[in-house]
Amino acid sequence: MSPRKRAGATTEARAETRFVQPEFARIPARRILVVSPTVQIRLGPGDRALVSAGQKVNPGMPIAERTCDAEFIDVGRLNRPANGNGRENGPSRPIDPQQERRRSPRPGKWWVGGDDRRGKTARRETPRRLAGTLLYEMDGRWTAAAGDRHEKVEAPTSGVVVEAENCIGITMKVSGVAIPAAVAGGQPTRGYLDVPRLVDGELRDTTLDVGRSGAIVVAGGRVSAEMLTRARAMSIRGMVAGSLGQAELRDLAASEARQRAGLHTTPPFGALGLDGHQRRPIASPILALLAALAGREVAILIDPPLLVLDVVDVPLPELPPDWVRVRNGVHAGREGRWLSSAGLHRFRAGIHLEAANIRLGDDLQPTVIALADLERFIL
Amino acid sequence: MSRQPRAFFALDFGSATTSAALVGHAGGRWRLLAHSAAPSTTDLDALLFGILDRVEHADRELLEFVSARERPKTAALVADLARLESRSTPPRRIAVLAGSKRQRRRLEEVAARAGWLVVGGSADVSDPLELSRLVLAWDTHAVLLGADSSPAGDEKRHLPMLGALVAAAARRRPELAVVLAGGAAIQESDFHGAGEHDRIPEVAKVAEPVAETPADTDAETGGETEEPPAADGGAESAAEDAPAEAATGDVAAPAAPVDAAPAPEPAPAPAPEPEFAAPIEAPPTDRHDSVLLAPDAESGQPAGSALQQVLEGLRARSDDTRLGIARSVRSLALLLDKSIEAIEVGIDGGLRCRAEPFGPGHRNIVSSHVTMAGGSFTPEDLTDEIIDAVLSWSTIAFDRYRLSDRLRDLRSSPWGEADGEGALLRLAAAKAAVERLVAATPEISAREMPDILIAAGGVWSSTPPSVVALAMADLVRRPGVGRLASDQARLLGPLGAIADEDERRKMLKDLVGDVLLPLGSLVLPAGIRQGRSAGRMRVTGDTANSDIDLQPGGIWAVELQPGQTATADMEFKDAVRLGARGRRFSVEVSGGLGGLFVDLRDIPLRLPDRADQKRATWESWQRAMWSEIDE
Repeated sequence: MSPRKRAGATTEARAETRFVQPEFARIPARRILVVSPTVQIRLGPGDRALVSAGQKVNPGMPIAERTCDAEFIDVGRLNRPANGNGRENGPSRPIDPQQERRRSPRPGKWWVGGDDRRGKTARRETPRRLAGTLLYEMDGRWTAAAGDRHEKVEAPTSGVVVEAENCIGITMKVSGVAIPAAVAGGQPTRGYLDVPRLVDGELRDTTLDVGRSGAIVVAGGRVSAEMLTRARAMSIRGMVAGSLGQAELRDLAASEARQRAGLHTTPPFGALGLDGHQRRPIASPILALLAALAGREVAILIDPPLLVLDVVDVPLPELPPDWVRVRNGVHAGREGRWLSSAGLHRFRAGIHLEAANIRLGDDLQPTVIALADLERFIL
Repeated sequence: MSRQPRAFFALDFGSATTSAALVGHAGGRWRLLAHSAAPSTTDLDALLFGILDRVEHADRELLEFVSARERPKTAALVADLARLESRSTPPRRIAVLAGSKRQRRRLEEVAARAGWLVVGGSADVSDPLELSRLVLAWDTHAVLLGADSSPAGDEKRHLPMLGALVAAAARRRPELAVVLAGGAAIQESDFHGAGEHDRIPEVAKVAEPVAETPADTDAETGGETEEPPAADGGAESAAEDAPAEAATGDVAAPAAPVDAAPAPEPAPAPAPEPEFAAPIEAPPTDRHDSVLLAPDAESGQPAGSALQQVLEGLRARSDDTRLGIARSVRSLALLLDKSIEAIEVGIDGGLRCRAEPFGPGHRNIVSSHVTMAGGSFTPEDLTDEIIDAVLSWSTIAFDRYRLSDRLRDLRSSPWGEADGEGALLRLAAAKAAVERLVAATPEISAREMPDILIAAGGVWSSTPPSVVALAMADLVRRPGVGRLASDQARLLGPLGAIADEDERRKMLKDLVGDVLLPLGSLVLPAGIRQGRSAGRMRVTGDTANSDIDLQPGGIWAVELQPGQTATADMEFKDAVRLGARGRRFSVEVSGGLGGLFVDLRDIPLRLPDRADQKRATWESWQRAMWSEIDE
């Protein structure tokens, strides 16, 4: 049995979940959706925020500028505004740029310069133009983290900026709801949700073709490193799976580093593991929700790991009030219904744990499972 | 009968586990009536309801007596009974900066011993950009900039740059706590004179002495002994603890406000009495707005303890569970007049502490403790070294990535798969954590076998007692005879939150039998020659007599029930070390859930180099203590 999706079932579904026995309440609860989560986009020295606190952002809007090749620069003395000629690289900022330039030098301030600007004669015909952020001042001389290669960071989703600081990061309150995940890799990204047909809960490699370019693909229980590589090559924006192994995350991080080092950058790519690192199928209520949202624009966020749905009104899956899922152990990933408490039960290796009788799937006999290995869903 | 309930809940809010115990005053003393533990996600009231229901079913009259009500309603009791609480402090990260790699290593070691997650950099190796990244990182909560008290040239030339860098970062992030240790305090002036857009961090006031509040007396009974601890005793108590200790000279105050002492003052050597982190009397949000001057990484005895104290006070909550355990162990050592060592392993860190009387019957206690984020059984920073360590203790063959995945999932679901293979993995991870704690505390390892060795922490909660005892024997290898115990009800942390030392000791005196669940006794001789029978041992007790041929390289468990005592007479063929050196020994041993353990394995343990043989060796020892492993 699997939960069916039902549009507009928000209120009723919540009412149903209130019916629980006291022992049932001891099962760890898993929230399927979170409303307006707060997310972070981290910046480092040399990076600047292009938005300010309180500002509304929309998907695709530039919110930050990263300095890809930031290096340590001795700027020298800055007794006048950092950009004396009034020119500034990068997109326009929401605050008055004149005022920004007139502010006195301070740590974190955007700085544009080069050898020519520092009174040095360049041998090269085209002097290197650097931009970055000021780091600190010592004996009247400023230092900066700056480089000549910059890339824009676009907002993956809509929301309101809570805090934005050069070199540190941007905190944003997302508008809409999101599905929380356990682990994420890559970069925040955005695309249309694609839920291809899964075979035994898994996605075949050949399913990933160029036709899915720009999509965030739901990939079943697990994605392999090869699948991630193939997806990137097909311009797919992201993958959502039940689990994401450490080996795949390392490969993805290495791939990201290579992309950053290259001159030609590719669109951001992100991967989400909804349950953790070990292989497990996607929980059926979440899969039902994803299937109902197929074709809509969604975003993958990394910190914290989230699949953001820009809308508030989403079709919630219909969940029986006693529906549980096995999270760990030999039955991991299976789902069923709570029958009764089994009290303190002796498990393998003589370990005594609080347990429950669960009817898994279509099994005729109930299975005794430790409460800590179960999870119940709340909306 | 007083209307005041004679019972309270002792609550330990761990990162993975919430543990609750009902302690009641009955039969003229405080007793542990019931306890339970559940994942930290579990509703607390449901846990407390369960405890009260169990007591009600077992002995309704007892519940009526301790609650001072007829037909008490559990809902009312859950709401009304006092609560003594302790909590695990969430892990926080500190960036350690120094002028030289040598100094950085010292500072990192001290910061790690104070329970911080540590990232570090030195100006002689890393460029300022790299150091700025460490300091400005989102998850960095504090910066420690340190140098020798008289910095040499290699450090001194980098200090102005480091001071400017940290000051700039502190202006960008006012919530960042900054500690200037040793000679780095000379850079304190960098933190003044910020521009109009900058916010200067306020100077912290660390551990200002406050007059100790005398213990409340019961208005009706007029006696202190009848008064259960205050409901919010945890928070109040720990806050008052430091001033109380400072007043008695127990706590050195090595950190000084910048205003008051522009130049760094050398830390006074710690007194023989233990020093515990003096909590900063400010809410956590204010706590970060601080620049602290602290002693260098060599001050104190052992070296670095003075700085460790400052960093611990900066990191830990006032009602921190681990510091509470260390306080309780100190009280127990004084109470029982015995040397006591405790090893606690949790998901966010671990603790190793030791306390012992200065001499027989002496009122002074010598103690030390180390809290380490790396003492977690599944640390946040899961490095290859940690994975290798778990592999070396594991009896299951894993590939590295699979083990890494399992350990990370164990962190996100610490109560998951506690049986079968999961139990073995958990045991290997716990042993690796204890190994890290032991390696980080050479000053404790250098002492003799303690009279009582306590295993604490959620990781042991579902493990069979004999396996916990074996793990302790595997890891704390010092010749001698000692008792093994477990803090099964997790009371040491909450009891350590009681402010007044006398009151805490009084409570522990009543509860000592309940707090320490006896696992058994451990006999661990050193210097046994391999290859032939080492001698014989005769255990003579009230109900059990055993005669054992002592075969080198093995470990035996002799059945000896909790509460029973026996005499173990040992006669070795060659002289061995068992406290003293000799061939014949007669020692008093006490029983426990695991019995009496006679460990004739090498000190330190000698294991095969090959991984499969090592696993087989572990398994053979483990199987002897864990017969249910094949179920």
